[in-house]
Parts: sequence; C-alpha cells; structure tokens
Amino acid sequence: MSSLGGERKVSASLSRSIRGTTPRLADLASTPESPRTPLLRSTSSLFGSPGGSFRTEDEYVVLEIGSRFVRGGFPGESTPRCTLSFGLEEQRRMGDYRQWDPEYGHKRRKRKRGEEWGQDYELYRLDLAQVDLGLVEDKFERAMREAYNKYFLLDTKPRRILLALPPKMPHSLMSTILDVLFGSFQAPSIMLMSSPVLSTVAAGLRSALVVDIGWAETLVTAVSEYREVHERRTTRAAKLLSEEMAKLLNAALANDVEDGSPKADVSFEEADEVLTRVGWCKSKPKSNRNTLYFPARTSPILEEFEDAVESPEPSVTIPFTRNTPPTEITVPFASLAKPAETSLFAPGTALNEFDDDELPLHHLIYRALLSLPMDVRRLCMSRIIITGGVSALPGLKTRILAEVEALVQQKGWDPVRSYGSASARHEQVLRQQREIFELRRQEGEDKVSESLDPDAPLPAGLQDPEEDAIDAKLAHLALRNGAPPSCSIGGTIRGVETLGAWAGASLVAQQRIRGIVEIERERYLQHGLQGANREKEVSVVPQRQSMGPGVVRGAGERASWTLGVWA
Amino acid sequence: MAQPFPYTYYACDCYDSNNTTSSKRASQILAAAEEEDRTFDPRSPRSNYSLYPLEHLLYCEDCQQIRCPRCVLEETLNWYCPSCLFEVPSSVVKSDGNRCTRNCYNCPICTSPMTVNSLDTSNDNGPPYILACPYCHWSTVEIGIEFEKHTGISSQLARIANGGKPIPTQKERDKERERRKELGSRKRDGRDVLSHSEDSPSTDTERDDPPPSHDDVFSNLGAFYKAQIEAQTPSNPFSPHDITFSSPSAYNRIMNLYSNTSSKRNKRQKPAPMREAASLIEGLTVHNPSADAAAIERIKKEGWAATLSPAQKLTQINPNIRFESDLRPIATLLCTKRSKRCRSCRHILSKPESKITSTRYKIKLLALNHIPRLSIRALPSTATMPPPPSSSTQQPQFNYNALNSGIPTHFLLHLSNPLFDPIRVTLATPSTTPGKVQSRVTILCPQFEVGANTDVWDDALSSSLSPIKRGSIINADGQIEAGKIWDRGRNWTSVVIEVVPGFLKPVAGFGQQVDGADGEEELGEDEDVLEIPVFVRIEFEADVNAEERGLGDARGSKGERERREEAFWTVVGVGKIAGM
Ligand SMILES: [Zn+2]
Ligand SMILES: [Zn+2]
Ligand SMILES: [Zn+2]
Ligand SMILES: [Zn+2]
Repeated sequence: MSSLGGERKVSASLSRSIRGTTPRLADLASTPESPRTPLLRSTSSLFGSPGGSFRTEDEYVVLEIGSRFVRGGFPGESTPRCTLSFGLEEQRRMGDYRQWDPEYGHKRRKRKRGEEWGQDYELYRLDLAQVDLGLVEDKFERAMREAYNKYFLLDTKPRRILLALPPKMPHSLMSTILDVLFGSFQAPSIMLMSSPVLSTVAAGLRSALVVDIGWAETLVTAVSEYREVHERRTTRAAKLLSEEMAKLLNAALANDVEDGSPKADVSFEEADEVLTRVGWCKSKPKSNRNTLYFPARTSPILEEFEDAVESPEPSVTIPFTRNTPPTEITVPFASLAKPAETSLFAPGTALNEFDDDELPLHHLIYRALLSLPMDVRRLCMSRIIITGGVSALPGLKTRILAEVEALVQQKGWDPVRSYGSASARHEQVLRQQREIFELRRQEGEDKVSESLDPDAPLPAGLQDPEEDAIDAKLAHLALRNGAPPSCSIGGTIRGVETLGAWAGASLVAQQRIRGIVEIERERYLQHGLQGANREKEVSVVPQRQSMGPGVVRGAGERASWTLGVWA
Repeated sequence: MAQPFPYTYYACDCYDSNNTTSSKRASQILAAAEEEDRTFDPRSPRSNYSLYPLEHLLYCEDCQQIRCPRCVLEETLNWYCPSCLFEVPSSVVKSDGNRCTRNCYNCPICTSPMTVNSLDTSNDNGPPYILACPYCHWSTVEIGIEFEKHTGISSQLARIANGGKPIPTQKERDKERERRKELGSRKRDGRDVLSHSEDSPSTDTERDDPPPSHDDVFSNLGAFYKAQIEAQTPSNPFSPHDITFSSPSAYNRIMNLYSNTSSKRNKRQKPAPMREAASLIEGLTVHNPSADAAAIERIKKEGWAATLSPAQKLTQINPNIRFESDLRPIATLLCTKRSKRCRSCRHILSKPESKITSTRYKIKLLALNHIPRLSIRALPSTATMPPPPSSSTQQPQFNYNALNSGIPTHFLLHLSNPLFDPIRVTLATPSTTPGKVQSRVTILCPQFEVGANTDVWDDALSSSLSPIKRGSIINADGQIEAGKIWDRGRNWTSVVIEVVPGFLKPVAGFGQQVDGADGEEELGEDEDVLEIPVFVRIEFEADVNAEERGLGDARGSKGERERREEAFWTVVGVGKIAGM
C-alpha cells in the first residue's frame, strides 16, 4: 500500500477502486485552469431562481424522461414548467371530448384485455419485447407537443436540450426519443445526463447511493464523484405497490356490496389516487420492534398492529365516485400501510426465496453497499438518496433507512462474505493493520480520528477498523482543504434529501456544466446512435473546467461524441 | 368514439414517413412493405395518433398532401392571456414566465377562474382582498392569504407564503445566506478548528427553523455550485464579462486582490478541490424522520379530504405537495397564436391575424377544401322496401347506439367533392372489421364518379344531371343491386354499404371461435363500437398549376391538364352494437 495523504493521492485512491478494469482518461479530468467561460447573467423572474441563464445562443430546455412521466422546463428554475403523464385521456383521438362528459367522469375505466396493471399509463417499458416503439414515439411526440405549445411557449429560436435519462436505457428506445426531439422539435443538440447523477447533484453531493423507486423497478445506483460505479435493480417498485393497494381496496369494496352484484375491480387511477393521498408506510422495521421493544412477544397477529393500539382504531373514509353506484368505504388507517409493507419489504418471506430481481428494497441496498469498494461504501452509506415517485409515501424513507441500518447492525460488512476464502480473510486483516499503522505514523499528533467520532458510539456491527482509518484520513484532508468536516461524514447510515433529477438537470444547465454525452443534430441525423464513438468516454482533456469526470463545464465543440453510460 | 354517431375520421400517414434515423429506416421500409396490403386498424392504439376529424387537418398544396398537427412546424406569433386578453411581449414571457402576471388566477381545486373579492364589511370594498372561486367557493382565506390591494395580485402573492409569512426575494435570500455563512465562519474561526464540539456551521442556528422550502433549497444549491465553480476557476478579475459589481463573487474577488488581510485560509492561492454541500445554507438536507411522522399523523387525523388528488397536484407550480393547505392559486397559463408550416416544404399552411381578439386567419389551407368529405348515415329502412302508401307517417329515428347483431343493415356512404374538377372515386374496405367484434361489410358500389364543385349558378343553369330513380337500383326481389350508385347531386354521390354487425359475445357457429377463456372475458371500452376503415382513392384531371390560379398568370398552363391521384384511409364510426 502506498503512502497516504495529499489530495492527489486521495482522488487517485478513490478512482483506482472505482475504475474497475479499464482505465479511463476521464479520471484525470480535474484540470483546473482555463479561460473564463462567459458570465452568468442574472435574471429575475416570478420563478425567482438564483444565478443566471445561458447566453442566448445556447439556451436550453431541460427534460426528464421516466417510464410514466415527462418533466420539462428551463434551466435555473426550481420546478419544471410541466409534468406530463400518459393516462388514458392523453391517448384519445383528436376531437374525442368524452373526458369532459360529466357522465363519463363517473364511469370506472376498464383495463384492456391482456394488459398488465397500469400498462396503459406507461410511456415505455424496458422489456423491449413488449414495447411498440411506434406507439412510444406517438405518445412522446404528443406529450412534447403539449409541453412546447402549452407550457414552454418559446419563440422560434431552436433550443438545445438537456435530457435526463435513466442509465442503461436500450438504444432503440433512446433513438425513438431522440428522433422525436431532433425531428419534430428541431433541437440543435441534445446533452444526455443520467438521472442518478443528477439526483446526486440536486442533493448537493458528489457521491451517493441513489435509490430510485420507479414505476416498474427500483434502481439502486452508487455514484462516486458524479460517476455511476455500481447498479442493482429489483421489481419491487410503484407498480407492485399500486397493485397491492388495488387488492386491498377490492377486498374492502367486496365487504361492502350485497351478494350477487358484480365484484368490484378498482381501476388504476383509483388505486393510484388512494395510494398518493392516504397511503403510508410504517417507519419502524419489524426487526426493531421485535428485538428492541417487544423482545418477549410471541403472537405474530398482535404484532402486526403493534403501533395501532389506539382506540377507537383510527380509520380513513375513501370515496369511490366511479363505483356503480358511487360509494365510500371506511378502512382502518393501519391497513393503508400494508401495501407498502408487502410490496417493498416482503417481511414474511425468507431471503433465499427471492429471485435476484425481486429482492426487498433494504436487502438490495445492503447488497449494493456491500459490493462497493470500502472507501466508496463509506461515503455512499452516509449519503443514501431515496427518490422516485413512490419515495414521497410518508414514512417510507425513514423505514428504508431504518431497515438498512438494522441489516448493517446485524450483518456488518463482514469481509468473509465479500472475500470468500479464509486465506483472503487473513490477508485482509494483515493489510488493514498495516494501513492503520501507516496512518497513525503519518498523522501523529493530529488526532483527527477522535475529533470525528460521532457523539454516540457506533454499534458493534459498524465498528470497522479499516473504515475508521479512512474516515480519519479523509476528514483530515478535507479540513486541510478548508472543507467543513461534515463533507467527510461516512461510515454511518444517513439519508440525504434530493430535489430530484429534474432539478439537478436545471442546476447543471444553469451553471453551464456540460455532460460527457452530447449529440449534435446533424451527426445524429446522418448516423443515428451508430455515430457515437465506440469508447465509453472520450478524452475530456480538451474540455475545460470540470466538477468531476461525469460532468464537465465549459464550451467548445467536440470532435467526436460518445454514449457514456448508455454505450 | 365519443363523438356522436355517425362520424368520420381521416388518417394522416405522416407518422411513418417522416422519420429521421437511418437505424430506423431499414426496419420501417420493411414494415411499410409488409403493410402494403394491410388494412388500417382503428383498434390499434397507434391509430389514435393518426386519426383526425377533417376539420382539424390542413393541406399543403405544394406537397399535395394532408397535413396533420404532427407534420406541421409551429411558430409562435404572439402571446396573450386567455382570461384578460392582454398581449404579453416576448421579452416579458422570457423573464416572467408562461403565466399571466396580472390578476388572472384559476382555482387550485376546480380550475375555474377566480375573482378578487373584498373582505371589507363596511360596503366600500376596501382592503383586505382575497382571491375567491365563484364556482366551488375555495378562497385564499383557506391558506391564510389576504391582499392589501386589489390590483397587482401576482406581485403580492409572490411575496406571501401560505399562512401569511413573507417569501424572501432572491436578493434577500442571497443576503441571508451570506449572513449565515459569515456567522458560521466566525464561529469556526473563534474556536479550535479541530475541537470536539465542532459541528457543521449551520446546525445550531437552524435547528429550530421550519424546514426550508423547495425553492430555498434550490436557491441554496444554485449559489453553492456557483461559488464552487468560481472558487475553482479564479480567472482574471478584469476579464471583460466578469467585472460587474452586482455579482458578489466578483466583488469579493476584487476585495481580495487589494487587501491581503483575508482569512488565514486563503482560498485564492490554490483552488480548493470541489466539495459537496456541507450545510443547509449550501443546499444539503439530511433526511429528517420527524417530517415523515408528521405527515402520517396528519393523514390519520384529517383524512382523505385534507389531501390532494394527483390532478390537483400536477396543476400546481410546485407539485411536490400533499395537503390542501399547501395549495396556491394557479396563475393563468398564457396562450399563443401560432402559424403553421408544412414540415417537408416549409410553406405556410395557416397564419392567424395577429390581433388577439380576432379569430380570423390570414392564411388557412384547410384539408376540407381539397379532400372529399366522406360521411355515413343510415338508409331509411323504408327505402329498401317498396315505398309505403302514406309517406306522411314519421319514421322512427334510427338508433345508432343500438345496432342489431347479425342483422344486415344498410347505410349510405355520402361523398362530396370540394374540387373544381370531377373526380373518380374508388372505395375499399376489409370484408370484416378488425377487432374482437367482427362485423361484415360490403360496399355495393365501390367505384363511381362525383361531379365538380362548380358554382351553384352553374348547377342551376345546367340541368344535365338527371335525378336517379331510386327504385331502379332495387331489383325485383326488393334487394339493392350491386354496382349502382344510390343517389347523386351536383358535387356529391352516395352509395349503399351493407353492414352485418358482429356479436358482442361469441355465438357458436357464427364464424367466431369460442375458445373458453377468451370468450368469457368482458369487452373493453369501445369494443362494442362499430368502426369501418374505408380506403379512399380519387383520380381527377386538373389544370397544371391550378393552385396558382389566384396569381393571375395562366399563360402556358391554359388547357394543359395533368392527371392527379390521392389516396388516404378514413374510419367511419357507424354506431354501437347493442348487447343481446
Ligand atoms: Zn401528419
Ligand atoms: Zn390575464
Ligand atoms: Zn373552485
Ligand atoms: Zn409541403
């Protein structure tokens, strides 16, 4: 192990562990000095956001595309000008005004035969076998036309686009989206940035574990210095959750109707509305309840309602105006937390019964952290960003963080798990010891490590000598560089809020930061995505300032372009 | 669908002809080749994006093609508020956004336009004022907002948060941020940097404050990144773009340049590496479980009515809210007047008059002036039989919403010609309609001519058109004879189409397969609607450059005729099949 200390060494050590197999030029991207890019002009507007905007010739439109929503707006604004969904009413023919018909408004919508739950409300799905790309294009084109004509209200000047996309979007899907933006909306260029990186930016961080609870899947992405270094997914996400909610409501409605009348089958909208209005999630993990609060408890049935011992039992009355006849049902408040429980945490199932793509959220997060290099893990575990539509469910973030914390307490970061063999374990111990020794020797009287001890002693599972050492090292460095000590917090589970990928994109565009992937219109029209450089990342040397390898700030044309994480 | 029956939709096929990438082209050409003899399927979800009522379509005379909203390019001519009809200059749209900045607001509950009311009970309509919804009676009182003046509501509202607290302006935000930063660094400098009690600069001062708003955090983040980037690129302080003293960072930099008394950690000497946000004032928000708990408590206590529907949230400027008390009145979205150009040749197809109150157009090339109008209606049942003795008795209205399965029913396809030349028409339709409920369709006379759209005067003068005797196409058995038109006028012709509406539920032995599971399933929305795709091809001879007739120069083109042809799919909505 080489000597430690000095800023260059740290970044080198970080990137070495991140980099994996192929070295990338982008790792060197921190070239500081350069000619000044033009000034940020400050603007005042009703949307009152700080800073400035681009020069007129590179004005941007900021778009975020997800599987059920498109958000669009302008740089420097804190919220998008529009969030467009893909419901049934958005898919009607021109001149079909039935949604304004009051009678129609009271009808429950039926799911089309053979369609999955909520499929009608998707822009796309990642399983291309089930996607009609033509239809994706139709839907996207219509939504963008609405965005431009109803919300953006631009003059005729063409606008560049900063496009926030999920990482690993299939190329044919990307082509479909780019076709529309270049073809119908005449964008001169499109800059792609990945949503997890932008969520990190919108949290004020550079490294984070981004947990994006999306529609069809939850994506856990470890971001280190603005670059995705690890990714895991599970199907436990909004779709399962709203399906569970529908089951719960159907059961409640079934109790309500007289025998003989047809069974209620709530629509996607109804389930979705109940979920977003009154759905919630118990914020304490069951394991904690058992071990910490009710160690002697044996009856599992009682335990379910442990926090709901209030009397009378609180309940919520939910109107169903689309039911025939319109009705309302009163359900116990506690039951509205169950769909989140079953769909996202699956408490009743043993871990080995899950397929790889259906791990409960906390296990997924724990495994993602476990597979990270030590120094990255240390930073990421204290920077867990939970985002995505469902993340607004009250109690959910607290619950996820508590579950992960409990898992870490229980399992720790036992190297045996990650190294596998006993000999590797011995080597590991030896290496650690040397590192610690080296560190102590170097930092001598500084005693940084003590000063950074958290107030409460760490639980046994978290006390990891190697990470303590790194903590101390990084903290010390940070202080030397004038960074507040909180910038080096690590090693404990901590959640950080993000304003979301769209806001991140808005910030990035506001600061005139350029992404690695930028596609010029003419080149795209000639070659399509095939025109991209085969390399994952081109050299960033000719580019100017940078906030890190994933995002580069500055102007100037690029000789070639690349697809970055989407390659 | 949802239009009253019967109706006709026209398909614009631009969606598969104007694609851009080469990667796609190959597959599309293949698909197109395959599609050559496939009929248009009005049930396919894609059809909803290519079908339009004729009135919605434009026509490019240069390309000689229909132009739908998808194959035009739009250019904004001017911006105005649909509520107060005030025209907004483009510079204001740019600086103040896409909403009316006068007194126009929509109700966040029901979207009705809101009015400014006085809360003054003394009858002189004095302050305070509120915005109120005359429809659902929601008002800003419910979110604790009152106004001092009845004008300039936008600027007042922009400064009041729900509950009445002032919203800081950008400048105030920046100032407050600087103050806190100052406070934080002074505190830090006062102590040992490495002391135990060292905490992030924000935590003590901010612990008791309410959680920062979305805008606060965004503004803090923006300022943080700006400062980080500037700290990293200490450019020439005299660089021409950067000298504005209004920019605090430039100011600080200059101060640093002239006074070397700055703090002991002088950042300017070597650019500090970029770091993450360290505190609330830099935009860092650590997850706080108490916010979660509070939201849960509130839902438990206040129930369904206190929460917002997804639609209500989405119409808010900041959709990240949950409770009714978070609502803000919605400033009315501006509208635009736009001109439309053909996407392939860029000719202007429509251009409205620029005056806001005018609804007229300077240019509007409507498809209905170039494309024959096809319509369908029921053939009065009497017509197929020998005329009843007394014609005075009122025929019962045909019920398009209850077509009878399995019973042959006759309809008239009526085609009228807007062109100044007579046209030859060929109609084609699949023999059974696509979709789950299969109806049989036969056009009895698929080829016919339609007269030119000559002046009504010409019509009156030339009596060459002899009316058709309807009896003549009904043969001795009372059957309608194939190959003959039903009726004809100056510029229209009608032919009979026979439809045997299909069965909503499979009936054994009636051509449909009854395979267990599928047969049991309920019909989806609109599956009982009988729609027939009809392919229309017209041929005619027209003057060369006929479009330029208006330009007055007809030299050379006199008498020169060219053969032209147009073809397109239409979908006629016949009615709804009645259940049995
Ligand atoms: Zn078109
Ligand atoms: Zn107005
Ligand atoms: Zn209202
Ligand atoms: Zn044209």
